Amino acid sequence: MIQTPSFKGTHLWDRLCWAKENLEGYQSDYRVVYEDSIDECAKILVPDPNWMAAAMQGGILPPVWVYWELAKDEAQPDFKKHTRGYLLHETKPVEAMTEEEAIEYLIMKDCPESVWKTYNVGNRPKMVICTKQQLPQTREWRNSWKIAA
Amino acid sequence: MAGKILADQIEHSTAGSVNTNFVVEGVAKCWITHQHGDSVDDSFNHSTLTDSGTGLFICNFTTSMASSKYIVGGGVGVYSSNGRGGDFSGMNMGGGGTDSRASDHCDVVIQVSSSGSSNSILSDRDWSMHIFHGDLA
Repeated sequence: MIQTPSFKGTHLWDRLCWAKENLEGYQSDYRVVYEDSIDECAKILVPDPNWMAAAMQGGILPPVWVYWELAKDEAQPDFKKHTRGYLLHETKPVEAMTEEEAIEYLIMKDCPESVWKTYNVGNRPKMVICTKQQLPQTREWRNSWKIAA
Repeated sequence: MAGKILADQIEHSTAGSVNTNFVVEGVAKCWITHQHGDSVDDSFNHSTLTDSGTGLFICNFTTSMASSKYIVGGGVGVYSSNGRGGDFSGMNMGGGGTDSRASDHCDVVIQVSSSGSSNSILSDRDWSMHIFHGDLA
């Protein structure tokens, strides 16, 4: 396995350039199905193969809390532009993750917090992790897909 | 990092010079190609694709943009000759006035036969491609 360079203080963009050049993409079979609105169909989170490769390699991606901090900044009413982008670039990158840990990271990064924090609170689950093969194999009636109770 | 060149300007022997910040700022910051959400074929600076329904997707970035003021482009591909003209791929303006861009993701839409008329419909095409230009955080 190729060794990740020491990316201390390296811009995240540059780290991703290294990953793109040196790592083989990894197609995960996992999918995350979630509902964040009762008026909309279920959404399906598809992991990116290049991101998965970087996560499983380790030493490239920032910890997920960095994204939460930036999201807090963006939620401010007077937000114009990020001023704490350095968090992405200067925070020590996370170690190698297993495929399952990487999926958990992605849920906390790219699913709405209102979904993953209380996914099993209520009358029915708002989120499930499944495999690609467990999803309908055609997109017929896609806009009425819901998580089965 | 091995092979690093530091330069503020690149000069051509006859055609003049350009500051390297134009190069850095001008390149696409994120791109992705996928088959209607089934899987991501290839990408850069992209963490997940969310399939939100027919013709609706969310592209989530790994390195966030500096703000939500960036450019969204894209294209579609189809196997047959049907529907080649007028397909549209771009940012979703759901409800006619909602800016769907955020610094860490963008809601994108695939429409068929879009010509500014109300006849456009959301659709899944065989291939969808999205590209984002702007400043990084």
